[in-house]
Amino acid sequence: MTEVSCRDPNLVMRLARLGSIHQSRLSFMRILTRRMAREGWRFEQTAFEINDQGVGHAVYTAHGPERAYSLIAYAHDLPAEKRSDRVIAEAWDATFTLFDGIPTGADIERLSQNIPVQEAGRVKGTELSVSRANRSVRLWEHVVSKLAAGEQPDAAQIDAVGYLMRTTAVYGSGKLGAADREMIADRPEFRVPFQVEMLSVYLTRWFVRDLVQYMADTRAKALGASAAKLDPDLARSMGIGNSTGLGMAPFLLNHPVLFSNWVQVRETALQRVRGVASATADEIAVFNDIFARNKQSVANWHSEHPVQLEKLAALQADVDLISAKLEDEGLAQSSPWESLYQWSTQSLTVEGQEWLVSLMLEPYGDLVDDLADEMSADNTATFRIAGAMTVARLREVLQDVYGWALKTDWSLAANKARAWYVSEEKLEPRLGERFEEPIEEYEQPLAPGRDATQLFAALAHWPEETPVAEFLLRHPEHRHSVRRAQIANRAPYAEIRDNTISEDVLPIDMLRCKLAFFGAMHFDPRSDRWVRICMYGNAPYPEELSTRDGDFWVYPDAQSVAKEG
Amino acid sequence: MSHSLNEIEAMSKRAARGAGLAWGLAEEAAKGTRWLSAFSFPGTEMLAGLLALNDRLPAVDFSPATLTGRWSAPAGRMSPLIAGAAMSDCAIRMEAGQVIEMENVSFPLLVVPFAGGAALRLGVPVSVSWEGVKLTTDGQRLCVQGARDAILTMHATQLSCAAPAAMTGQSEPVMRADVDEAAWAKLGEFAHRTYAPATESSRLLGAGSGLSDND
Repeated sequence: MTEVSCRDPNLVMRLARLGSIHQSRLSFMRILTRRMAREGWRFEQTAFEINDQGVGHAVYTAHGPERAYSLIAYAHDLPAEKRSDRVIAEAWDATFTLFDGIPTGADIERLSQNIPVQEAGRVKGTELSVSRANRSVRLWEHVVSKLAAGEQPDAAQIDAVGYLMRTTAVYGSGKLGAADREMIADRPEFRVPFQVEMLSVYLTRWFVRDLVQYMADTRAKALGASAAKLDPDLARSMGIGNSTGLGMAPFLLNHPVLFSNWVQVRETALQRVRGVASATADEIAVFNDIFARNKQSVANWHSEHPVQLEKLAALQADVDLISAKLEDEGLAQSSPWESLYQWSTQSLTVEGQEWLVSLMLEPYGDLVDDLADEMSADNTATFRIAGAMTVARLREVLQDVYGWALKTDWSLAANKARAWYVSEEKLEPRLGERFEEPIEEYEQPLAPGRDATQLFAALAHWPEETPVAEFLLRHPEHRHSVRRAQIANRAPYAEIRDNTISEDVLPIDMLRCKLAFFGAMHFDPRSDRWVRICMYGNAPYPEELSTRDGDFWVYPDAQSVAKEG
Repeated sequence: MSHSLNEIEAMSKRAARGAGLAWGLAEEAAKGTRWLSAFSFPGTEMLAGLLALNDRLPAVDFSPATLTGRWSAPAGRMSPLIAGAAMSDCAIRMEAGQVIEMENVSFPLLVVPFAGGAALRLGVPVSVSWEGVKLTTDGQRLCVQGARDAILTMHATQLSCAAPAAMTGQSEPVMRADVDEAAWAKLGEFAHRTYAPATESSRLLGAGSGLSDND
């Protein structure tokens, strides 16, 4: 093995790099599909009571080794003027809950009063998630009308959108009265974070395929004809979209230990692969195959946003550089991945570097997949402040973790132009202009760098040996920052080492980072604070999980790679 | 109504902030209220009572004047959140056998979650005692001695925290909590102060894409 250390948090935890992360084999979606395929999960549709207007409910149950989980889907007839992906929306095309077990008729009836109104409803500990989705109006109508006319939809139109419905919120972890994560975190299938949400979305994709077929059948029948059956390959090429705003950005800042664990796992996986002394012929074959297919995936990635267009162009150029490098020189005999990685840091953009990092992990499931169990977090141990830490030591920690912030001139308006706040409208998280809107008094503590700098200044005249407990008694306003600093001192990737309130901050960097850990692809920003993505595109549907690849499906043409053992 | 513990924590944090606590203390208030709720105590009622009592008043008035000797606050009543946080910060003193003593603590039950934190740090159970009451925790479980009225009192003249303490007849936490509607509404009022009023420009600029979703 080659001696390689994990990458420096000062390199990794910059927003531009976090906003360039790609899905990998340690993404939550792929961890889930690998598990379901490996354990032979069984799936069934147990209800589909939808009328000709597309209104009603359906139930889909997934049977794992020990327990069953059911997606209860409610389909609605939504007028166009009510269709909004924002948190402030009050009606949707479809609403869902993931039920712990198999629901009774009474459960379905109770939930039919609550799930369709989402935040205005209440659920119980038997419900694990609450979510909703809106149609892609264009693609939905195209697919329904084509099928109803006895034809297949156009593959190019499907590729251009990627999904028939996009989720606009998937709530778990106790929201609206649902089960707390702590109630289910000891189940093997939910030990990895966000497995409830990922399962819910996976089953949602199945429901959407059934619903679009049903609506086409209904339309054809009204005309005295029969609809075509959606081609399985076309169906599989469609994922589920997601449309998301600022809610995900505070999440990363509010869960520093959890976030650190995600990044630590990815970095440790990279470290292990970089340490591989030589690659076997099989490993090289997997890498080359996935590389070729991932190139195709980049070509299928569409966006109209100028920032993303620039990044995409850079990524395509980087992919060409990698191709040329591999063709000209191949992989090095000794420490091939370390050699390739070092080359990438000199030759590729950040977007291309992170793309390559995810790619290099692909042949090494045996080496890195065990890390998935380390991605969750129990916050209790890190929440308490170590009051005996001296002022001198706290200063050192601040200089280490927040070095960038201590060098920032926070008196400049440009460096603190924005403020994060919560609106009274459905508690939507927002980002405003500090000097133009009356929002500063509502500011959320989401600028750790600025706050750490204020803490550092407040410590300046305190004696070195004073315990932090004494300082905090006089300065409770710094308690939040002291806690963060102590957490970051133990969890190296806990803190985003960048300015989250500057005039040029791109919140989509934070959204993309979280979505990439979920396993999302094809990031398509709609503004600097809003992004659409695709999940589970090309994934096997439940009935295909036992016969198709449960792991490498993210890359087009999944069948060409040998199934994992 | 049955609430999840995460809901209780989220509401408590916003409410404590709305009542004027610094974010770091609001976080402590939230974790503590969640912790008490998990042991079927009316944590939200206690927090709502405390926030109403000290609403937007300066924290320093209800903080220990010094961390030496018997702790007391200038205003003649001490915030259990500020004193509890300081006790947890000073947990190491109890390891050396020192008993931390406080005077005139409001809603003393709210100190107990901090003993849970201290116990986890020290690795031994910590007890919190006041008139006729002794609560001991190792951070995971709780032993309760005393009458319910005395446990839920609004004021303790004397309170002491000590370690190590013996755990007897302990109870395990539960995962759901029944919350008093009036207390929940009160917390909601405090929390509401942290929400920015809705304006047309903030609705437009603050979050979404400004593009139609009917595409």
